[in-house]
Amino acid sequence: MSLERTQLRLGFIALNDCAPLVVAREKGFFESEGLSVDLSREASWANIRDKVAMGALDGAHMLAPMPLAVRLGICGEPARMIAPMSLNLNGSAITVSTALADAMRAAEPQGMQLRPRTARPLATVIAARKAQGLPPLTFAVVFPFSVHNYELRYWLAEAGVDPDRDLRIVVTPPARMTARLAAGDIDGFCVGAPWNAQAVADGHGEIMVYAAELWGVGPDKVFGVTESFAERHPLTLGATLRALIGAAAWADEPGNRGELAAILAHHRYVDAPEEVVARSLTGAPPYALGEPGPDDQDYIIYHRYAASFPWRSHAVWFLTQMLRWGQIGPEADIAGTAEAVYRPDLFRAAAAELGAPAPLVDEKVEGLHASAWTLDEATAPIPMAPDLFFDGGRFDAAQPERYAAGFAIGRLRS
Amino acid sequence: MKVIIIDPDEARAALVAEGLADVRPLEVRRASSFEAIEGELPSFAPDVIVIACDSPDRDTLESLREASSENPRPVVMFVDRSTPGLAEAAVEAGVAAYVVDGLSAGRVRSVLEVAMSRFELMQKLRTDLDKAKADLASRKSVERAKGLLMKERGIDEDQAYSLLRKLAMDTGRPIGAVANDLLTFAGVLKGDGS
Repeated sequence: MSLERTQLRLGFIALNDCAPLVVAREKGFFESEGLSVDLSREASWANIRDKVAMGALDGAHMLAPMPLAVRLGICGEPARMIAPMSLNLNGSAITVSTALADAMRAAEPQGMQLRPRTARPLATVIAARKAQGLPPLTFAVVFPFSVHNYELRYWLAEAGVDPDRDLRIVVTPPARMTARLAAGDIDGFCVGAPWNAQAVADGHGEIMVYAAELWGVGPDKVFGVTESFAERHPLTLGATLRALIGAAAWADEPGNRGELAAILAHHRYVDAPEEVVARSLTGAPPYALGEPGPDDQDYIIYHRYAASFPWRSHAVWFLTQMLRWGQIGPEADIAGTAEAVYRPDLFRAAAAELGAPAPLVDEKVEGLHASAWTLDEATAPIPMAPDLFFDGGRFDAAQPERYAAGFAIGRLRS
Repeated sequence: MKVIIIDPDEARAALVAEGLADVRPLEVRRASSFEAIEGELPSFAPDVIVIACDSPDRDTLESLREASSENPRPVVMFVDRSTPGLAEAAVEAGVAAYVVDGLSAGRVRSVLEVAMSRFELMQKLRTDLDKAKADLASRKSVERAKGLLMKERGIDEDQAYSLLRKLAMDTGRPIGAVANDLLTFAGVLKGDGS
């Protein structure tokens, strides 16, 4: 059957996790599906959202919580967006300025030896600053509806820091984080690769903790389209998903990570030095100058461990964080929104056409596995990674309200 | 009405500001980035913030709404939901407006329409300028190619031009491109194009 459309325009933001789109174009995965794809680098997530909603882009690289927030009407014009595929797991990190890292080391030398590092040394610094009447520290995230915002808040709150009362959280575009850190406008940030590695390489920042250390395999970006695009172009969407699944698998081959860094570094894509881009792909980036990270390819995951599968439980987790931080109230329809936006059915159909294994369940419990395990509820068994939260938390999508209310610090609406 | 225009393209921002001159009463401030004007926000208290879509500051601006529950700064909505097609047209033109609650839809629309038409005008000016530059470059190439032909083939100017035009017609390419090719090949033959 012929595709409804063969020419597509897809948007992305300059980050290592846009790799499946870039690889699908540069390594011929779109082409072999009969697609001619124009990739458009966008200046902001708001642009991505509006252009996809209005049809100026057919689909895009999106922050995973964004299509959920758009559907709920709390992020721009309400629109019926869907996420038929995840683009990656992990990849982000929390970085602080070298000055703040030094202050944390002076305050709690032992706490700064720990891995994964908690925010307790930071809590001590914040308490001391408060006692001295100093202004609150400023941390930046990339968007209010981003895994980075929730990740930073989770890490801070675990150590007793209230992210809304004890410091200031601002929004800064990913590519500008390192410059603002260097200028002293912000004291820390949470952002995706390669910008943490860039701050370390520039000598302005130290990485405190990787996303992968906070939650073994946490969701990050998705591929998003509108529901009406999916309904009007089912075959085109299927072909696009097949190309992206193939590209994600290519990007995860250890032997391809070097070439991937060279492709992504290009000025059309991430536009950063190749060795900096490579540092978050061929292993984990150094925590600080002279403090190398582990030789771990799971720092960012594109394909392994069913990484491309849009787990409804991931959608529900994001919605619990929106509840926890007061972005939505108890009236929000958690299960209905997750079901409408995350579309494992579309992913499974595309994977089946490729003969690639896909999970047969839509949800999984997070924080359950301390070691590698196998997902047997799949079209073929899928090797899976440990999925613990650093605070020992456990998340079951069946009880979202209870989970959201189970944290000592939050801004739950009544 | 108080309007802030944020546009990395300062010439375009100036054009938008100029186009708003008919709106009365009016106070306009412009900046190339949000950071440059952030400090003025509380005191200036804009009714509308017009921002270019190619500014990376849109995400920062949107997050102000998030912060507004604790910080009583007037904050913003993306264009006007009651006017069908306006948001699409604005995104197409490359401009977004964030509107403080309470401002009438009609006034927002007029500001946005000015911004959109000025963005398009700027686009046309730029395209025209590019075309004029290309035309000039092409004319220069044709002159040099004519000179080359006159010297090498011992023909006069009209004959040289006719020859170039014939080459262009035979190959179905613009005369400027044919002239460029000729100059390049001549350079290679002389050994300075390698």
